[in-house]
Amino acid sequence: MDKIGYKPDKSRHIRKPHPGCIFALGTLILPSIIHEKGEWSAMKIAIVGCGGLGTVHADCYSAIPGVAVTGVCDLDADAARKLAERTGARAFASFEEMLAQTECDAVSVTLPSHLHKTFAVKAAMAGKHVICEKPIALNLEDAAEMIRVCREQGVRLFVGHVVRFFPEYVQMKRKVEEGAIGRPGVAHAKRFGSHPGLKRPWFKDDACSGGAVVDLMVHDIDFMRWTLGEVQTVYGLRAREGDVDYNSATLLFESGAVANLEAYWGYAGPFTTYAEIAGSKGIIVSDGTRSRSLQIRKSSPGEAGGPFVEVPQSPGYRSPFLNELAHFIDCIRSGEEPIVTAHDAYKALEIALAITESARTGQAVMLQAGAGEGSR
Amino acid sequence: MNKLKVGMISFAHGHAFSYLNALLELPQVEVVGIADEDFSRVEAVVNRHNLPYFEDYNDLLRLTGLDAVVICSENARHAQMTIDAAHAGKHVICEKPLGISVTEMEQMIAACRDNGVQLMTAFPCRYLAAVVHAKQAVERGEIGRILAIKGTNRGTMPGRWFVDPALSGGGALLDHTVHVMDLMNWFTGSKVTEVYAYAATLFHEGLQVDDAGMIHVKFENGVFGVLDTSWSRSKSFPTWGDVTMEIIGTKGSITVDGFAQKNDLYSDDIGKGQHLFWGDSMDLKMIESFVNALLEGAPAPVSGIDGLRSAEVALAGYESVRLGRPVKL
Repeated sequence: MDKIGYKPDKSRHIRKPHPGCIFALGTLILPSIIHEKGEWSAMKIAIVGCGGLGTVHADCYSAIPGVAVTGVCDLDADAARKLAERTGARAFASFEEMLAQTECDAVSVTLPSHLHKTFAVKAAMAGKHVICEKPIALNLEDAAEMIRVCREQGVRLFVGHVVRFFPEYVQMKRKVEEGAIGRPGVAHAKRFGSHPGLKRPWFKDDACSGGAVVDLMVHDIDFMRWTLGEVQTVYGLRAREGDVDYNSATLLFESGAVANLEAYWGYAGPFTTYAEIAGSKGIIVSDGTRSRSLQIRKSSPGEAGGPFVEVPQSPGYRSPFLNELAHFIDCIRSGEEPIVTAHDAYKALEIALAITESARTGQAVMLQAGAGEGSR
Repeated sequence: MNKLKVGMISFAHGHAFSYLNALLELPQVEVVGIADEDFSRVEAVVNRHNLPYFEDYNDLLRLTGLDAVVICSENARHAQMTIDAAHAGKHVICEKPLGISVTEMEQMIAACRDNGVQLMTAFPCRYLAAVVHAKQAVERGEIGRILAIKGTNRGTMPGRWFVDPALSGGGALLDHTVHVMDLMNWFTGSKVTEVYAYAATLFHEGLQVDDAGMIHVKFENGVFGVLDTSWSRSKSFPTWGDVTMEIIGTKGSITVDGFAQKNDLYSDDIGKGQHLFWGDSMDLKMIESFVNALLEGAPAPVSGIDGLRSAEVALAGYESVRLGRPVKL
């Protein structure tokens, strides 16, 4: 696989089948089977939910060799049509029709979070692997059901905790693991951005998005659990007014380490992340405001609202989303465990919900040691 | 010019050196003596500035014409020294934390009040230029109403008496809650009603006090605050620590990074990068403000009550750590 060049070549994947799958097509039932000569069969993906992340998924798939998006589905016919044009896939209004007609191997579920379970379960029941955006679901019962149904149906379930594919976080985790900072002690992480509900109102409804903890902080929850281990106790605080949803949570880990996480929707600045872990012999910091390797500044006329426009960026050759989705595809092909499992996604949700509960009750919430799916 | 005559009691806390420099810089101040039972601690400054030295601070307090004292002793000795100074009729500026128990802090405040002297808690962070401007921006309503404040006051493990609970009264949670908690009290104009804290010894094995702390407070007006108080800055870190606040309002936010005004020095002689602060001295501004208030007969700009309101939060924090749940104040 081309590891360097990020140059989507749609014709290679969509209009012509991948060379490795030509001989396999006739006998294809579940096309994620390895061809007998060791080459990969083309993998067909259907996408349900043609909003922002549906588009991100589609663009990433077009850059992965041997993968084709064959169907896109959205209740909003216009959104489905636009993504169909972008991908060359067929547009559907009915998910069932898409499952029946696209011969897809896997389904990307990029819907509002409260719909994840319904569509993931339908896809699994139809024998399709599921690649679902985070959070896995909005409650543990739904998350457990998704995991159970996928297991019973013999399909894989992947959840897009993409922070595990951001190089700065991967490096931080590796350095901590190598002992570069000694024993981890106190950590911080933050994730600040404008309120997504201004453009997509479902984000403003906790019943659909889970709020900024379940939707946004869940990234850092998963990262910290990945890096610092299991969480014992959480304490959450939430300030919500108008277009501001500011959340602070302190996680106490079984190791004794402690982390304070902030998730802030309604921040009046460019999207910002920060993570830091201080240990007994050192500190590692990833400050998003200091890794803007590219700043484009343009003088702008008065109507743009100011004398200049400044766009900070941190470009890479391969986006973390592309690395994540390519990894999930590899896992489907190889049968290997992914870097982030459905169980990890379940645990991240469990912690996020405990934080939400703590913010509501004002009490610290203890997590059950070793609790897994279905144990609650 | 009517000069204010100031004496200093104890250099146990290193801030005393900075406060002395501030006093020496102010033309309206005359430093009349230094008291410290450990002469070696003050020998250099006593000789350099040719200052009268007292082994027993009570001898300093008996000096005629002495107006005020600066107390920088071990935390556990603040109360006795402050009360003695009050009885001698001297105004006091006392290093933070004001005391190590609510009862003794109340006694300090009462003694000063009863003897008609001012008691100021040394909270220099109120005099960081960025903090002063942030306060003004909040007062102008630039970020609407405050909803929450996230702060950090990280530092380096100070060693010495700071890690002896009998002299310090606590570890990082006490040492580093008080500065930013005072700022939170000041900015919100409200009172802490509930505290939830975590404290542990995570960075320095075998320490008798906590060196890691995360404290959470709820204010009467609904605002909440979170503060990292840890002595978590490693030897390899380019500076001693920080004072930061992120103030989240209904119409925006303000980020204060009190010591961001720095140059980065990379010197082979030192072997690690260093942050060199070049901003205005908060200690000078604080001492000047104390001195001028006394000369004008005005109340101390930061009171003993302010010191109590901040330290009692840290003390409640320890109670919360012991119980493992939030405690009411």
